[in-house]
Formats: sequence, structure tokens, C-alpha cells
Amino acid sequence: MNEKDLVLRAQVGDFDAFAELIGAHKDKIYGLARKLSGNDQDAEDIVQDTLLKAIDKIDQFRLEASFGTWLYTIALNESRALFAKRKQTDLKPIEEYLPGGHSGSHETGDHHRLFDWRDPGSVLESEELRKKIDLHIAGLPYKYREAFVLRYVEELSVKEVARTINESEAATKSRILRARLALREQLSEFFEDRHDREMS
Amino acid sequence: MTGKCPEYVNELNDYLDGSLDSGICAEIEKHLGKCQNCRIMVDTLKQTVKLCRGGKEESLPPALESRLNNLLKAKWDKKFGKK
Repeated sequence: MNEKDLVLRAQVGDFDAFAELIGAHKDKIYGLARKLSGNDQDAEDIVQDTLLKAIDKIDQFRLEASFGTWLYTIALNESRALFAKRKQTDLKPIEEYLPGGHSGSHETGDHHRLFDWRDPGSVLESEELRKKIDLHIAGLPYKYREAFVLRYVEELSVKEVARTINESEAATKSRILRARLALREQLSEFFEDRHDREMS
Repeated sequence: MTGKCPEYVNELNDYLDGSLDSGICAEIEKHLGKCQNCRIMVDTLKQTVKLCRGGKEESLPPALESRLNNLLKAKWDKKFGKK
């Protein structure tokens, strides 16, 4: 049975049709929720709230988008609603992440050389790093985390991310870049600490 | 090159994603050839995305799946008036 037929059957009360529709997307929604929340409990809450909301709204679904896209949008709204309740501090301005700060004078004098971790080797596959990355992503203020995850984990284009989060492309690019700079800084601290431990 | 780096801020993400005009790319690359910190910054920013993309595919935990099925069925039956 194709998606349209399943939707039409679900809309008149066929639970099996609904179960088949969501079955194809549950893992993807959970993966997105896990990445956005960084923990199992919040991810489970987002998935549960998303699917319950889908039941509430199934009669309103008009087949203009795919069922997966519709469900994904509900999941993002549920995730946003969950994190809107939590207090979060903003990220630094972009310039403060850059070497030399506002002055840009890092090519001269007693500038601090950035730590180069381009080739982190075996640590790449380590569980320690994996957990750090998930924690750092989850620690970003939500609006940055969402833009970053949609762009680089879910692999949407900047235009698609902007449309999804209802922001201009310029604002979206700025959020993505700030998230990327913040994550780079945190990973850099991780690699530098690790390097220092190995050297001592 | 003093004071040059922040000028590239607005183009940085497009440069990293490979979606920048080739003329500006060439300018940035010329700068990267001379500025070690910017080169490290750009390389590690690329690596950041690579690392964040990695990791295992997540799938719904079986216990949650089972709990969800019961919860969804109960909600469904309530909505569509089944006992």
C-alpha cells in the first residue's frame, strides 16, 4: 500500500495504517531527538510527544508534504517547545572565537598559537570523544544547536534549514557558524588537554 | 596580514562548505598560506563538522517502542471512539 492510501486509511481510524506510516520514521525521529537533546530521557519525551501530536493532527494532514516531512516538523516543534522552557546562556559573538579577537593582530608579536588537532588519530573512534561531542552539541543554546544539527547531521541545505527554523538565510548562516566555532573551541580544549596529559 | 582575518568572517562558513565564489576563495586561500592560526582555525573547523557527523545510527530503544505502542493505541482508540 502506498503512503497516500495509508494516510487516507489512518484518517478514518485504521491504527495499523498509522503504525505502518510512523514505523518508517520512528528511528530517524529518535536519532534527531537524541542529537538535539544529548540524552535518552529528553529524546524519548520528544518522540512520544511527537507521535501523540501526530495522532491529534492526523486529520489535518493534507498530503502536500510527505508524511515523513510532516512528522519531522512536528518533532522539531516539540523539541523547540521542550528546550524553550529551559534557561540557556547565549554564545559569544563570532569575533571572539577568532584568533586575535577584534584586533586581528595574530600574525605579529606575542600572539597565542592555536592548538592544531587536525589529525587526532585513534582518539577519533573513542567512546570518550563521542560522548564529549554529544555533550557539547547538547550544551549549545537551542537555536544554535538546532541550526547546526539540521545543517550538518541531518544534511539539509542552508536554505532548507532557514525555511525549517523560519529564519532568514543570513541569520541561519550566522547561527550555524557560531555553533561551529563554539564546538571547535570546545573540541580544541579536549584535544589540547589530552595532548598535555600524554606529554606529562 | 594584520587585521585581515576578521574580514573573512562573513564568508567563513560558505568557504568551509565549498559554496563561495572562486575569486573570494582564492583571496582567503592566499591569506591562509601566510597565516598559521587562520589555517589551523579553518582546518579544525572542517574537522569539527566531520567529528559531529560521525557516531552510530540511533534506533528506538525496544522498551520505549513497546511502551509507545500501548500509549499510541490507547490514544488512537480514544480519538476514534473504540473500546
